[in-house]
Amino acid sequence: MSKLVADDGRTHIVSTLMRESLVDRRVVQKTRTDTEFAILPHVTLVGIGGQSIFDRGKGALLPIVEAITHLRKKHPMVIGVGGGTRVRHTLSVALDLGLPTGGIAQLVGAMEEANAVFLNALLAKHGSIVMQREHFWELPLYIESNMLPIAISIPPYHFWEPPPEDGPLPAHGSDFGLFIHAEVLGMKRIIFVKDEDGLYDKDPKKHADAKLFEKIELDDLLERLPDELILDRALFSAWKTAKHVERVQIVNGLKPDQLLAAMAGEDAGTVITRTVKGGS
Amino acid sequence: MLERKTIESTLAGSTLTSSRADGFDYTPEAMMPDVQVLKIGGQSVMDRGRAAVFPILDEIVANKDKHKMLLCCGGGTRARHIYSVGSELELPTGVLAALGGYVPRQNARMLQMLLAKHGGIFMMHDDFEKLPLYFKLGCIPIMTGMPPFGYWEKPHADGRIPQHRTDAGVFLSAEVLGQKRAIFVKDEDGLYDDDPKKNKGAKLIPEIGARELLARDLPDLIIERVVIEYLTRAKFCKELMIINGLVPGNLTRALEGEHVGTIIHRD
Repeated sequence: MSKLVADDGRTHIVSTLMRESLVDRRVVQKTRTDTEFAILPHVTLVGIGGQSIFDRGKGALLPIVEAITHLRKKHPMVIGVGGGTRVRHTLSVALDLGLPTGGIAQLVGAMEEANAVFLNALLAKHGSIVMQREHFWELPLYIESNMLPIAISIPPYHFWEPPPEDGPLPAHGSDFGLFIHAEVLGMKRIIFVKDEDGLYDKDPKKHADAKLFEKIELDDLLERLPDELILDRALFSAWKTAKHVERVQIVNGLKPDQLLAAMAGEDAGTVITRTVKGGS
Repeated sequence: MLERKTIESTLAGSTLTSSRADGFDYTPEAMMPDVQVLKIGGQSVMDRGRAAVFPILDEIVANKDKHKMLLCCGGGTRARHIYSVGSELELPTGVLAALGGYVPRQNARMLQMLLAKHGGIFMMHDDFEKLPLYFKLGCIPIMTGMPPFGYWEKPHADGRIPQHRTDAGVFLSAEVLGQKRAIFVKDEDGLYDDDPKKNKGAKLIPEIGARELLARDLPDLIIERVVIEYLTRAKFCKELMIINGLVPGNLTRALEGEHVGTIIHRD
């Protein structure tokens, strides 16, 4: 049993961090190791775009739903959804009203939660369930019983969104949220389903000469990270220091074969890789 | 048939992958600028027990009709024990952040019990929007200092302990409320150039700019590093004041706006 020490007016529990300042670099460094326990390494996270897929309605969404009903039999997965055009409208109104960044962050999650409910309605007969945040640790139950959890993508930073670096919008969006969700659970790969064949060096919707990145290492990509991105900038900076996620793939959901190929481990769309020192 | 069904808005075509919002002249409104956010230290105050806590609560009660105070609690030695056990088990930072959240919540509940007869009310993050009600009723709202990031806390290069802990939560609460100064009640007279508990020769820094402080690259600080970084780009909360709550009267003077202890300002 741990001992208590009270020789300086404070009552301490004996531990390697007892009495230490957790801001002290010399102390923090001691908690560093190359390995980290992987909680659910066999699960794949699939993120479905809001504006890119949901806002296109039935024609875009149903083939993806169909693909998922097949894929889920073979691959344990968690699905996340984006909010799309309603998020953009929310942000436009909120910025005009002058709401603080944290207040804006508090608002946007509701729009993607609506998309999660839409998707759940379509997949319910195949065992889907909208995962509430407080049910985080029920994920193994869902996976083990062959259910199909649909997670809320926006991270719960809410009113406490840190001041952004280069503008008023919250930096921690739904792509970032899904990335952290996968990383904290020790997942190795994430597949984002969008409406382009992957990540280009500039926005292909505006530039006909945009070039696709087919397969690239994260470090190489960071050296030439485009100004216009298909995923949150915050995802790339968080990935630099991550311990588990090895592969982020972006596929075109308007061509459902790409999703099938990606789930089978094949290269399709854009494949970004990072060699990690590994979980245990 | 596969066209996007969009709502017309300034950001309709935006990828939203960065914080930039072209086309807006953004002027944020302060939500509750008259609320003073106070951090009650975990290791520095709560773990000292009655001898330290009671005089501070007396000062809070004496000031409650004059100042709107939101109390946010730190963790302390039990949080250190959790981080120590979690690090040894090699659990991810996000799990440590979620677990570390339990301790400041316990501390907030302790303060609520002690302040109940004076209107102390325990609140969760989800109750944040009820703050106007609590103040209208003359309550003293008390919550955890930890931000709600939990499992979504970012991993970082320097080790396993979450970067956003209770100092970050206090600063971010003050920032979103539109308060210009957050007050951190600790057991030292302010910020020193090294840990004064270990180095007797450490010198007090009465006032310093955030960028200047980051540039000095001190091995230890009295406040979480991310808070100093965020201070450099805050919209509202432009000062942090670190005071010694063990000295009677310091808290009252701080609430009155006097310079007590150390001020770290946006430079």
